[in-house]
Amino acid sequence: MKQQIENIKQEFAQELQNATSVANLQELRVKYVGKSGVVTGLLRQIKDVAPQDRASVGNMINDLRKGVEVQLAETEEKFAQVELENKLKAEQIDISLLNGQQWGTRHPIDKVKDEIIDLFKGIGFEVCEGPELETDYYNFQALNIPLEHPSRDMQDTFYINDNILLRTQTSAMQARLMEKKGPPIKMLCPGKVFRADSDASHSPVFHQIEGLVVDTDITLRDLKGTLEYVAQRLFDEQTQVRFRPSYFPFTEPSVEVDLTCCNCHGKGCSLCKGTGWIEVLGAGMVNPFVLENCGIDSNKYTGYAFGFGIERMAMIKYGIPDIRLFFENDIRFLKQFKK
Amino acid sequence: MKAPISWLKEYVDINVDIDTLCEKMVAIGLEIEEVCYLGENVTNTVVGQILSIEQHPNADKLVVCQVDVKTSKIQIVTNSKTVKVGDKVPVALSGANLATGQHITAGPLRGVHSDGMFCGPEELGITKDYYPNGDVDGVLVLRESAVVGQDVRKEVGIDDYVIDVCVTSNRPDCNSVYGIAREIAVALGKKVKPLDVSYTEEDGDIAQYVDVEVTAPDLCPAYFMHAVKNVKIQESPLWMTSRLAKIGLHGISNMVDVTNYVLMEVGQPMHAFDESDLCDKTIIVRRANEGETIIPLDGKEYKLTNKNLVIADKTRPVGLAGIMGGANSGIKPQTELVVFEAAKFAHDNIRHSSRDLGLRSDSSARFEKGVDVYSVQLGLDRALHLVQQLGCGTIVKGRIAKVDEKPFNQTIAFNYSRIKQLLGIEIDKRTVKKILNSLNVEVEYKGKEIVCTVPPYRTDLVRYCDIIEEIIRVYGYDNISGTMLENSHITFGGKNQKDLFVDNCHGILTGMRYNQCIFYPFGGKGLYDKLSLNGYDMSHNIKLLNPLGEELSAMRTTMCADILQCASLNHKRKNLDLKLYEYGAIYLAKSLPLEELPDEKKGISMFASGETVNFDSFKCDVLTLLDGFVQKVHLERSKVEFLHPGISADVFVDGKYVGFFGKVHPTICKNFGLAVDGYVAQLDFDTLYTLKNDKFKYQTFAKYPPVDRDFALVMSEDVLAQDVLDEIKNVCSLCEYAQLFDVYRHESLGANNKSLAITVRFRDNTKTLKDTEIEEQVSVCLKALKDKFGAVLRS
Repeated sequence: MKQQIENIKQEFAQELQNATSVANLQELRVKYVGKSGVVTGLLRQIKDVAPQDRASVGNMINDLRKGVEVQLAETEEKFAQVELENKLKAEQIDISLLNGQQWGTRHPIDKVKDEIIDLFKGIGFEVCEGPELETDYYNFQALNIPLEHPSRDMQDTFYINDNILLRTQTSAMQARLMEKKGPPIKMLCPGKVFRADSDASHSPVFHQIEGLVVDTDITLRDLKGTLEYVAQRLFDEQTQVRFRPSYFPFTEPSVEVDLTCCNCHGKGCSLCKGTGWIEVLGAGMVNPFVLENCGIDSNKYTGYAFGFGIERMAMIKYGIPDIRLFFENDIRFLKQFKK
Repeated sequence: MKAPISWLKEYVDINVDIDTLCEKMVAIGLEIEEVCYLGENVTNTVVGQILSIEQHPNADKLVVCQVDVKTSKIQIVTNSKTVKVGDKVPVALSGANLATGQHITAGPLRGVHSDGMFCGPEELGITKDYYPNGDVDGVLVLRESAVVGQDVRKEVGIDDYVIDVCVTSNRPDCNSVYGIAREIAVALGKKVKPLDVSYTEEDGDIAQYVDVEVTAPDLCPAYFMHAVKNVKIQESPLWMTSRLAKIGLHGISNMVDVTNYVLMEVGQPMHAFDESDLCDKTIIVRRANEGETIIPLDGKEYKLTNKNLVIADKTRPVGLAGIMGGANSGIKPQTELVVFEAAKFAHDNIRHSSRDLGLRSDSSARFEKGVDVYSVQLGLDRALHLVQQLGCGTIVKGRIAKVDEKPFNQTIAFNYSRIKQLLGIEIDKRTVKKILNSLNVEVEYKGKEIVCTVPPYRTDLVRYCDIIEEIIRVYGYDNISGTMLENSHITFGGKNQKDLFVDNCHGILTGMRYNQCIFYPFGGKGLYDKLSLNGYDMSHNIKLLNPLGEELSAMRTTMCADILQCASLNHKRKNLDLKLYEYGAIYLAKSLPLEELPDEKKGISMFASGETVNFDSFKCDVLTLLDGFVQKVHLERSKVEFLHPGISADVFVDGKYVGFFGKVHPTICKNFGLAVDGYVAQLDFDTLYTLKNDKFKYQTFAKYPPVDRDFALVMSEDVLAQDVLDEIKNVCSLCEYAQLFDVYRHESLGANNKSLAITVRFRDNTKTLKDTEIEEQVSVCLKALKDKFGAVLRS
């Protein structure tokens, strides 16, 4: 009997080795440990064993059963692993078939606008927009540009009637803001502006961002510091800011602001026409006339204002040669300005 | 304002090179538009003297000259028959460039070697304003005094720079050579030499010749006349005509040139009348009579209104004030007695008249910018000085002066601490005084105050900030270093909620692969007509008074025209796969003609075309965007004219119309020239934003299991799936949701029928549902659908 059990053990080992699938294992399970399998057969024969050997033979049969079951389970797991691997292999596909879908893009004007806004947000500037159709009062008179003022000629204005026009500058928001909200003011007003002018560097519609600060103790140095902060983050850390005297009726002193050329870093190149500097915006200290006109005490408060041309910034930043490209919206142009 | 360096040097010692000069001018606020070297186009051309002339052996019309150019003797072949041995002539040597664009190289001419070419005035780019006989046709024979071998540019007066200064509108005093010289002196730290305005009155009395009456003093605050008799009209000297020529004027005759010279040098427009033409020896400065006409020196007739100011004699206008003199009273070769006019006219009146009449002149341009009353007499004095210097007549005693406004020295006093308050830097009192004195501003310190007395020509200096600007522009902006708002109050930065939500929409749209466009918010009938089947109704558009053209003349009331036009441009360039959007405004007048500012309603337009785009995909994009605003939208068949009537929808939220989307109508596609089918949407952002519901609270979700039932329902194509789904939710109290998962069409369903496959989920939040309860709900539902839509279960 003992010999018989040993033989069965070996026989099973042999058959297990020959098994190639989970189904084979199932057959073995039925054959050896099933209801009417080999192990059950052995148990039935135990009555024929001498009583003094019955306990040890019984143990051997039980060991055989456990051994068979454990080995079957182990092998089954191995087979399942192999089968899963085969299945995964069979499911392999050509991963290069479809190209990734590009995100849509923001228009470069809005992209630069948002970059500038983000910089100013961080230093306490509130963002607001004003009407594009504006009254003569806010666009001109409140800004110290009375009727017949010669500086009206600086800007070719589109009129709707004697009193309503398409704003020529986002500065038109200055007085609206100051009337609505007393100091301290730190405001940024982006938006469309309009001038009757059209060529490669002028568009009848373009975009500006007006900045206005009114508070106690605001000086020309603060204006320079603010613009340095923005320019160095918009272009690079080495960017320098230069003021040149200029004239705007609503600021006094007034300056044109140049930045060191972002292309040649001041050495002189075609972008800056060899000067090393690029003119980017107009700015100045708010004219006390404008403050007083809005009911702000010009003895107590001072302020500064500036106006970026967004297209100009974008043209410099991205090397765009013609302002008309912004408004043509060729998809091949738009898609270049990724996130 | 153009100014030749040679002219400026008469008033200020310019001892720096042209680049340094320009830099220093820019630094104090004189923007340089252009610097032009007059001799730029004439190179390698020298004064030569003809030593001998021989006939060309092979050509009758040519001669061969031996020429001394100091460094060598050269041979020139020329066709000039006028040159003589001993003549000094301009010689373009080999390699020379000339003003005519010619490039000269040495080489044989009909077999005889020529080292260069003799030049005429045209090749040198000069006229008789620059040089004697400067109008000769052929070789220019130079003056006896010309130095052989010298660069010819020096000899003919083109070795000079002309700088064109862009003068800001607050500085009319810089619209003159002397005004610029004054500023250059400040920039270089020099003293400007005074204008020589000395003259001697010799004879007679002005009262004998003219009497003046100003009946419109509001338009003419100052009017002066001074007479010159025994006038000899002749050409002006070259020093004068060449200066005028360098800035674009021509010598005409001495008396006229004097007025032009004063205009350019002092900035004071003047006019010279022939006294013999003044009827009754009278000048009246008055408003024109309605319909009165005048022929100014340009020879055209102008019809006037009483808004125009004229200079008249007893019977007729003899000049358009400040713009141009009359042809009936100008200087003629036989003029013997001249009356000079120097005046200040109201700049806005000159501006309007000049524009209304379409007649501009150097004078009117100057008056428009503003002439200060101080310069009026200065200019007149300078003119009389020049008359005497040129010896063109005898100055009559006496001056007529009709003056309403006198020059004065403005005084500006303010607390010295204001300088630091505005600039943020301390500048010591001595430096401030020195700077202001250099600008002819007198300074006195009284306690804490600084008292400034401003020269009469600086009408732009009115307040303390004007003086502070003068200080810093001379002191130098480079002395300002930046600070970061150290003393300001804390403010809260950022965008408002609405703008933040706009950013959200940009994110959703770009995430769905839409590309943002920006368009002009105005257009014309031509564009908007494309959007209509029977012509666009422009009666609601706000029109521009002075558009650049008809195509940019009306504020838009729709966003679709622009995005379709953009799609068309892209299609024409074979960019067919498009996903475009715009966030912009339409302009809706409350009433027309416009009395108050219109509504600038913000909206979003979308466009898509390409192989993967169809109504369902586009609708999905639009609804995804809308889901950012609201949870539930209602769609109806769209009535928008430019959309396909069967493949388009109007969008409603809470019963409010918020936009539309759909396939572009084939006729409209053709109008715009779209190459493939396109889908367009326009959504009213402002209204959607107001409907956006941000206030929500947490709601418990059901614990009990749902039961799903699927139905296939056959109905007419006219029935909208959404209506069916809505009805199911309406009638089934236990319906959690109903959704469509398939649409089936087959002839077996009957003509014009479709089958909708719908899943309905039932759930009771309070208990597990029993079969009987569900069956009851289903039968109610099926009955309702049959009654309302004729929908029946597919067999």
